[in-house]
Amino acid sequence: MKHRAVAERVFGLVLRLYPAEFRDRFGHGMTSAYRAARMEAAARGRAGVAAFWIGVAVDALVRAPGEHVMMTLYDLKFAARALWRAPVFSVVAIATLALGIGVNTAIFSVVHAVAIQPLGFFDPARLVRIWEKNDRLNIAQFSTSVPNYLSWREHGRSFAELAAWRSGTVTLTGTGEPHRLGRMEATATLIPLLNVRLRRGRNFSPAEDRPGAPRVAIIMESVWRDWFGSDPSIIGRSIALNGVSHTVVGVLRDRDLVGTAQVLTPLAPDLSREARADHRLSTIGRLRPDITLAQAQLDMDAVAQQLARQYPESNKDWGVRMATFDDWIVPPEMRQGLYLLLGSVGLVLLIACSNVANLMLARAALRRREIGVRLALGASRLRLVRQVLTESLLVALVGGTAGVLIASWGVPALRAALASSLPRAEDIAVNAPVLIFSLVVSVLTAAAFGALPAMIGSRNDMTGSLREGSRGSAGAQQGAARRMLVVAEIALATVLLTGAALFVQSFLRLQHVELGFNAKHLTTAMMGLPEARYPTDLARQQFYRRLLAEMQAVPGVEAAAMSSGAPFAGGNTGMPLKAVGANALGAEDMQADWRLVSPQYFRTLAIPLLRGRTFDNRETGTHGAHSIILSADAARRFWPNADPLGRQVQLGNKQIFQVIGIVGDVRNLSLDLEPRPAMYFSSEQILWPTMTLIVRSSGSSPMGAVMRQKVAALDPQLAVFNVRTLDMMLQQSAAQPRLTAWLVSLFAALALALAAIGVYGVIAYLVAQRTQEIGVRMALGARRVTVMQLVLGHALRLSIAGALVGATASALLAPVLSSQLFGVSPHDLLTLVSVPITLVAVAALAGSLPALRATRVDPLVALRTD
Amino acid sequence: MADSDITRQLPLPPAFFHILIALGDGERHGYAIMQDVARRTDGKVRMSPGTLYGSIRRMLDEGLIDELTRRPDDDDERRRYYRVTRFGRAVAAAEADRLRALLQHARATGLVPRRS
Repeated sequence: MKHRAVAERVFGLVLRLYPAEFRDRFGHGMTSAYRAARMEAAARGRAGVAAFWIGVAVDALVRAPGEHVMMTLYDLKFAARALWRAPVFSVVAIATLALGIGVNTAIFSVVHAVAIQPLGFFDPARLVRIWEKNDRLNIAQFSTSVPNYLSWREHGRSFAELAAWRSGTVTLTGTGEPHRLGRMEATATLIPLLNVRLRRGRNFSPAEDRPGAPRVAIIMESVWRDWFGSDPSIIGRSIALNGVSHTVVGVLRDRDLVGTAQVLTPLAPDLSREARADHRLSTIGRLRPDITLAQAQLDMDAVAQQLARQYPESNKDWGVRMATFDDWIVPPEMRQGLYLLLGSVGLVLLIACSNVANLMLARAALRRREIGVRLALGASRLRLVRQVLTESLLVALVGGTAGVLIASWGVPALRAALASSLPRAEDIAVNAPVLIFSLVVSVLTAAAFGALPAMIGSRNDMTGSLREGSRGSAGAQQGAARRMLVVAEIALATVLLTGAALFVQSFLRLQHVELGFNAKHLTTAMMGLPEARYPTDLARQQFYRRLLAEMQAVPGVEAAAMSSGAPFAGGNTGMPLKAVGANALGAEDMQADWRLVSPQYFRTLAIPLLRGRTFDNRETGTHGAHSIILSADAARRFWPNADPLGRQVQLGNKQIFQVIGIVGDVRNLSLDLEPRPAMYFSSEQILWPTMTLIVRSSGSSPMGAVMRQKVAALDPQLAVFNVRTLDMMLQQSAAQPRLTAWLVSLFAALALALAAIGVYGVIAYLVAQRTQEIGVRMALGARRVTVMQLVLGHALRLSIAGALVGATASALLAPVLSSQLFGVSPHDLLTLVSVPITLVAVAALAGSLPALRATRVDPLVALRTD
Repeated sequence: MADSDITRQLPLPPAFFHILIALGDGERHGYAIMQDVARRTDGKVRMSPGTLYGSIRRMLDEGLIDELTRRPDDDDERRRYYRVTRFGRAVAAAEADRLRALLQHARATGLVPRRS
């Protein structure tokens, strides 16, 4: 008895696994068959019973799913045939979805490569970047010094390993032309910390990481390939870096390290030559397995405080700041920007789905009779819903495939455009995770635009739909659904357009910021004189003097100067500065950017000299006057009410300088950052290892070749690099905001077009529905204008409703954009008001076309129509 | 029915053929088909209800069998009876021919002993 009850339950469960339609048709027969077969099996003994239950299991696990698959295949075939018979609908729907899914896939490939894909390092969650910080001087992230780094190693308890490096450039000679390479002078712990395997050879040994050790180098694979022809005997070969012979001990893969260095040499820290206040090292660490970032931060805070007590001169007020590699390589604002882009493009897809849903509802209205007949013949509503959803799925999958093709075509362009402004841009590709995203989006899209039509389309007032010319309650429902969809589309388009307007304004403001200098017709070129051939500062200064003289003699050159760093060149040099003397009424000290410049620097860049003079013969050589030129902002902070000329300042290294001139503030680093306090020293007295030649020409003809020529004439072994115009550098600085503005505008344009199409569709449908009514009105004497007003009235009501919802949503969502905008408020009233008005205008235009058609209705024809 | 329609059905899945054989001499309901097949094959072929009804569904879709609209008065009205269609007979005949030809070839090559 109990066995029978259990068996019945099992049979019931197995039947549940079959499609509902199959169950309705054959359920009774199958149940009877199971019962009888079970009894017969029992009669055959244990073997028979076992065979019976195995058969039941096979039915459950194989045949039931098989029936589902067969049914889906049948539905797909049916759907394909239906779509083939409605080519206009199919092409429009597929094209709309292809566009929507395509842009989503393309943007996701960027987001995935930059923000989602885990970093390529071993156990990246344990890797941290470590900076020094000084809250009083408002410095958030600064390099550390060699002595501080060694103290961290000694006293820090949170790290399994620490490593540091100094970035610079070096000239490789002996392989034809001299090549300028990016160099990292790194501790021997760097490669083991990152857990990187060398392509060839070995890492530096601790013995080689000491002063006086034999010179060794590790080169990157690209260097090995490009300038040594992948020489198999590269290990042990001698290469000349800055004229000094180094032995190659290893080759690294290009992407394995952080940064863009092409050659590594040991840092070989020499405490006797390193000052604790000389911050030039970048540091990373690998946390101990049991230590969190927060704990490590506390530990290092304690170490920093201890060092501040021990060495107050150099370490007072200096603390430590850490961030995971993720946050360092992809800063949170960048991540946010990317997700915003993904959100925008998601909105476009939603609008596309609304349009396709509208199309499907319209089509369902046309197929009312067919559906009515099928329902009357006994098809279950569930089956019809399933078929509509299968059709949606087919449309979405075909559209998705086309979309992936569109994305594959656009992604290489995106990758190239973003290469210089986004980290990890080289990884942007339509790869497996992106394809999976595309598939998921396609399926969700099918559900989004298929569900509503499926539910409404399958519900039918049966007798109504079978009668010709009937409307029925289903028709009214469809009409309401379609109008709601259009309102939603307009709302979404409003939000997107508002965002685009804000981004475009932000970008334009950025383009027009006051730079503080004249960037037109400026060309820069960097070079570094190797110690081996220019052992003294004097020798180097003589070289630069001759170079400047040569450049100034070139026809077409208006001015030329040297600087330790041109504006917008990337990187920065800064130092704390203190005012000296009882008259210091303003800030006590501050952090200022410094530059070493030749006397004509300010004239070359057209930086206004506001007071005093520029450098001249008095500032020459090591015994010359200790003069400094300050930016207006720096002077104002120290002496807000007094004349800064003649006053004295003290640098971090205790040297005292006298202010001889004040120049205008300059934006040095980035378009969206306010100019910072700056100070200038004469390059006739102090030089930086790499100097930049800056040339202003009278016309726009390229100066790069001439600059290289003049340098080569003076020293053929000298490599000139980073030859760029300031225009190029400014463009690069604005690259990301430009791309964002461009992309969001593209999405907004797409959204606007789709919304306009949506409005057009609904109004056209409305007109078609009410042709008879319009005919009656016109027959009764209504004028064309009245008919037009009637139809346009509908369009306006829909679009105003949508625009209002959209404007409200924009106002609420806008603060999310604040961190991405420059010079424009997210609640900019002009934008928030003009965008909805634009949308209503566009929607009205879209609705006016069917409205015009409505006025051309021949009343006689209309009265006969149904 | 075109010849192409018939040949499109070949080779017939064994379960289909068994069902057609069972319906060859008259109408039957589902379980009766199962019993008939088991009896004819001396218990060597026992179809599970899943196999049976899955096959029945496909054979109905292909037009090889029909569901009866009338049934014996005293029978359970939920029971469904099936019968073979003309098309089904033609397909069964074609399948039988195909199998006969195969058997001839097998005997000709000595793979299967000739009937003595």
